[in-house]
Amino acid sequence: MQDRQEFIDFILDHYENPRHHGALENPDVVMRGGNPGCGDLVTLYLRLDEDERVVDASFEGDGCTISQAAASIVTEKVIGKTLAEVAALGHEVVIDDMGREVVSNRLRCATLALNTVQAAEKKYRAGQAAKSASEATVENF
Amino acid sequence: MPVGMSTRMPFDATRIRADFPILTREVRPGVPLVYLDSTATSQKPQAVIEAMGDYYRRSNANVHRGIHTLAEEATALYEGARERIARFVNAASPKEIIFTRNATEAINLVAYSWARANLKAGDSLVYTEMEHHSNLVPWQMLAAEKDVIIHVIPVTDDGELDLAVFEALLEKAPRLVCMAHMSNVLGTINPIPEIAAKAHAAGALVLVDAAQSVPHLPVDVQTLGADFLVFSGHKMCGPTGIGVLWARQALLEAMPPFLGGGDMIRRVTIRDFKPNTLPHKFEAGTPAIAEAIGLGAAVDYLFAIGMEAIKTHEREIITYALERLEEVPGVTVYGPPAEKKGGVAAFSLEGVHPHDVAQVLDRDGIAVRAGHHCAMPLHDRYNVPATARASFYLYNTPGEVDKLVEGLYKVKKVFS
Repeated sequence: MQDRQEFIDFILDHYENPRHHGALENPDVVMRGGNPGCGDLVTLYLRLDEDERVVDASFEGDGCTISQAAASIVTEKVIGKTLAEVAALGHEVVIDDMGREVVSNRLRCATLALNTVQAAEKKYRAGQAAKSASEATVENF
Repeated sequence: MPVGMSTRMPFDATRIRADFPILTREVRPGVPLVYLDSTATSQKPQAVIEAMGDYYRRSNANVHRGIHTLAEEATALYEGARERIARFVNAASPKEIIFTRNATEAINLVAYSWARANLKAGDSLVYTEMEHHSNLVPWQMLAAEKDVIIHVIPVTDDGELDLAVFEALLEKAPRLVCMAHMSNVLGTINPIPEIAAKAHAAGALVLVDAAQSVPHLPVDVQTLGADFLVFSGHKMCGPTGIGVLWARQALLEAMPPFLGGGDMIRRVTIRDFKPNTLPHKFEAGTPAIAEAIGLGAAVDYLFAIGMEAIKTHEREIITYALERLEEVPGVTVYGPPAEKKGGVAAFSLEGVHPHDVAQVLDRDGIAVRAGHHCAMPLHDRYNVPATARASFYLYNTPGEVDKLVEGLYKVKKVFS
């Protein structure tokens, strides 16, 4: 059972050493998400194989520790999953890793990246996936 | 004014704090509350909480046109609150005090009732870059609907309005100038009497958003120069759900009603209605009776302490706060120097997102707000997505400023 400080250290580690950070070359899906009014923005990139499995994912962004750390965590979670599995992910997947109590009053920050990648999946399904950051719409959460 | 109050007691912060039960709260075991978010909402003194409870315990009934005893008591309490609020801002008559849900609704009332009846396509109005969304969005909605043009007074780097631009804008003969008396982010106190005089000379009416000034400064509508003035109960030691539109009686008489329904009518037939006289013309449906009574108790409470004393206290606190915040490396406070502002300090801490600042401070019981504070255009202007904001009221102390600064050093440590 992790204690609070361990959760905080985990979050800060993802914030300071983000995994899969940067734009992907030739992504299949790009989605921007954020609440610009609070300064949290993330752009998620996905590359898929023929079975619609995520073979690579990355993010870029700007904002508070929790929103950015969550994006880093989300990229790790989605790699290797099919789009259907990504769509089925629940928020606890991110929140439990970061510590429910630690993020309890910043759930919007914590869920931003997952909501963004799930919005990307919906757009892909609808045949409207953006292929570049400049095309990707901002979904406000 | 309250019977028997001929002299005021000297400002005593300890006694005042004791009036607010919530200030003894611990946020978590051993961590007392340090409440620095009064600009978002103020805490309530026992007298206000009791006034509302007493009403529900003893005098609850619907107001107006009731013959029975409770209805008469409820009406007397409700209308009595209106009278005391009228005196608090020195209105010429209680008829000029319209109860609304809050300042936002009051501004919307003016937009729907005065503006839609009086403005036509091609007319213009003026507002400022420092406005709260409540004093921007209703006008943007109006502009889209009626082709009204909006001109904007910019904010200088020092956090004040660029009055040279304002004077130039007056040459476009706007019909209405909308402006905050005190900014909820920068704390800037705008020179309303001077601005209103110029606006009137150019043929414009003036709407003042006093949501941050009525709670913190003496406001006298006879000398301020506003034609419309709005404020919210919950920011001035009163409950949520009640606000006020003050406007000059002649203006209100000429305006069509806002919401339709019971109480705002004199007579209804199956096809027609006659609106009621002031103030009830603008108060449709059963009002927020307990809340109005609570606001009446709040103005009594503030009046007994004295708005000059409250203003002086806050000026001392903000002066001290700005001095101490200046010591912290990486902190930028937005807005003018202490002598030109009220007790609001929006700030950035370099390298740390406001959410993170607020969260670490919260661990020590310190309540500040993080975000855009319903002033996104102002944040765009300063090119920051969000700020943290500490705000002070009559119950805050210099010791709490010290705790804020200690907290900021802790934040820096966590993120170093």
